[in-house]
Amino acid sequence: MSENLVEPLIEVKDLRVEFDVRAGIVKAVDGLNLTIHRGKTLGVIGESGCGKSMTARAILNMIPKPGKITNGKILYHRRVQSNGHGNIDDVVELTQLDPDGKIIREIRGGEIGMIFQEPMSSLTPVYTAGTHINEAVSLHHLTPVRKIGDQLAEQVMAHQKVTKEEAREIGIDMLRRVGIPKPNERVDSYPHQLSGGQRQRVMIAIALSCEPAMLIADEPTTALDVSIEAQILDIMRDLQNSVNMAIMFITHNLGVIASMAEEIVVMYMGKAVEQAKVVELFKDAKHPYTQALLRSIPKLGEKQEGSRLASISGMTPDPFNLPTGCVFHPRCPMFMPGKCDKIVPKWTKVGEDHWVSCLLYEEV
Amino acid sequence: MAVVEQTKTLSTPSPKKQQVSQSYWSLVWWKFKRNRVAVLGGILLLASYITFVLIPELVAPYDLNHTSDFTEAPPTGIHFVDADGKFHARPFVYGMEQKLDFKTRARTYVEDTTKVYPIYFIVKGDAYKLFGFIPMNLHLFGVDQEANPDAVILVMGSDALGRDWFTRVLYGGRLSLMIGLIGQILTLFFGMVLGVMSGFYGGTTDQIIQRTTEFISAIPEIPLFMALAAAIPQFWPQLAVYFMLTIILSFVRWGGLARQVRGMILSLREREYVLAAKSAGASNSRLMFRHLLPGTMSHVIVIATLAIPGMILAETALSWLGLGIRPPLTSWGTLLQDAATVRAIHNTPWELWTVPFILLTILAYNMLGDGLRDALDPYAR
Repeated sequence: MSENLVEPLIEVKDLRVEFDVRAGIVKAVDGLNLTIHRGKTLGVIGESGCGKSMTARAILNMIPKPGKITNGKILYHRRVQSNGHGNIDDVVELTQLDPDGKIIREIRGGEIGMIFQEPMSSLTPVYTAGTHINEAVSLHHLTPVRKIGDQLAEQVMAHQKVTKEEAREIGIDMLRRVGIPKPNERVDSYPHQLSGGQRQRVMIAIALSCEPAMLIADEPTTALDVSIEAQILDIMRDLQNSVNMAIMFITHNLGVIASMAEEIVVMYMGKAVEQAKVVELFKDAKHPYTQALLRSIPKLGEKQEGSRLASISGMTPDPFNLPTGCVFHPRCPMFMPGKCDKIVPKWTKVGEDHWVSCLLYEEV
Repeated sequence: MAVVEQTKTLSTPSPKKQQVSQSYWSLVWWKFKRNRVAVLGGILLLASYITFVLIPELVAPYDLNHTSDFTEAPPTGIHFVDADGKFHARPFVYGMEQKLDFKTRARTYVEDTTKVYPIYFIVKGDAYKLFGFIPMNLHLFGVDQEANPDAVILVMGSDALGRDWFTRVLYGGRLSLMIGLIGQILTLFFGMVLGVMSGFYGGTTDQIIQRTTEFISAIPEIPLFMALAAAIPQFWPQLAVYFMLTIILSFVRWGGLARQVRGMILSLREREYVLAAKSAGASNSRLMFRHLLPGTMSHVIVIATLAIPGMILAETALSWLGLGIRPPLTSWGTLLQDAATVRAIHNTPWELWTVPFILLTILAYNMLGDGLRDALDPYAR
């Protein structure tokens, strides 16, 4: 296995996504840099509306109108050929592709899968679970079922249309892999006949049916209860290990991200404020925003009589009138007058794989 | 008994099957079945489409162009008891004698009770081709023309050329019912495709389609029909005129449906499953026709069912005005045209027999449509 080898899969460089609406321009993503490595999990956390989901949709070139990518690049290292001796990658600039074109449609679903927050409404109500999986498979013209020790057959079967019976078998097999009980019955179930957890499993099955190189999970467990959440996360981890898939895990749940990700990016108002390995971030958070987020996690056994859960003071700023300097300064407990409201902080390295954008760690 | 028991064991649902909740369409069917009026409407329509569209040749006692000497004859009475008071198990008709009133030049018909012609079921008569290719000469009922060449059975009288009116109503139903169905299918096609595109793409596409709809619906219908129908060249073959008329009818009517579909698509396209399908690599046309359009189907089915009577009436009205189907083609509209003079109402009131057929068809469609509307929302109440 090439687990020690860190290969970049997606490189987001200085990405800006802007919405030109009547009241002005909203910068949903403002100069974001991040790298997702092959087979690794990158966690993205932040409050609602901080641009997490827009980043994910920018990667798939699916920014809704009137949004636009106004700057930056998203480089996708597309694996063109993979044989025993080495891999040949082709770098694709995703933002330059025609959003309705053939190439991006091959990448969507086929190479970069996505699952959404709302399993209740993410399945087309008129199609069965099996139909959904088969649609994904047929859209990418390949049979996804990799039977262990059957590499040769896999190569032969790729780019071949499948028959109805085969497609049904694929559907059942995928449902079994995501842990749905009685998959041979559930394959014919309509979305309204499935529970929320089952629907999210079906979503994962759809996303994984084409064995994508990367899975974007946009708050996949937010709408589920805790026990189902744990099961879904287990399934995602297992499947990630079995197919060496990268995951971009978007959430605002710090507990979930701690158990899933290897590296975490913290976002605030469209900007990355801190990036670190998961242990480092939880032990030694540098940015005041990250520190505040971590303080707001309720902890068992630390209850004090009359104390309240820590929260971040103030409100998220008006997106039309962002604060000058560091966007977090009006809410920051470490606010340095004359500095933070004037100077935009730079992306600074503060340790091994630990980056932060805060004037506290900059020589000004 | 063995058979009964067998079916019993078969119909007992296995406990496994029962656990699976019912699909949408089985709920719809269940609710539809309980609505007696709607089921009656459905059965009526099914029966009328079979008799009028598929097998009018078989049901009618004569060929459409079968003329007789009995012009403008009233309906022949069907009797069971003859002049002597004797009961016949097989119904019969009397022979008819034509009399001319030399003062008023009016024709009157008198039953000749000496001539008794029994009515047979499945009787040999005019030759025709069933479904257009099976040569046959059997008719559902009639009198034996070979044995009694003078005998006629005119259930609804005859017209000025001595043609059986019942036969004409049957054949006329074929064109009128087909125009409703074909026209509505075309309307559905235009309405759904343009409505989906309008709602999905929005922007300029939406503007163009919506403004076109408004433009067409701003023109009063009848003058527009008249102008379009008048544009059909006179020398065209009758069948081409017929299809042109179908296209004209659907051309005028797609707008309303397109709007309703657009409205539904506008709300459906924001659903997360559209985004999910897109992120799975679905193309725009796939999103439109495979993921969005099915969501509008239940609504569209109801609208379509309730709109078909409008189509049939429009054809009838146009043909009645002489702008639609013209003789020698027979439709309910042309039959009404024949019956629409004071002279016809006075002398041959039986030509108004077309009206109950039209009314019944339209009533049946409305009954079915109403039932469908209730049934397609099985979760209501």
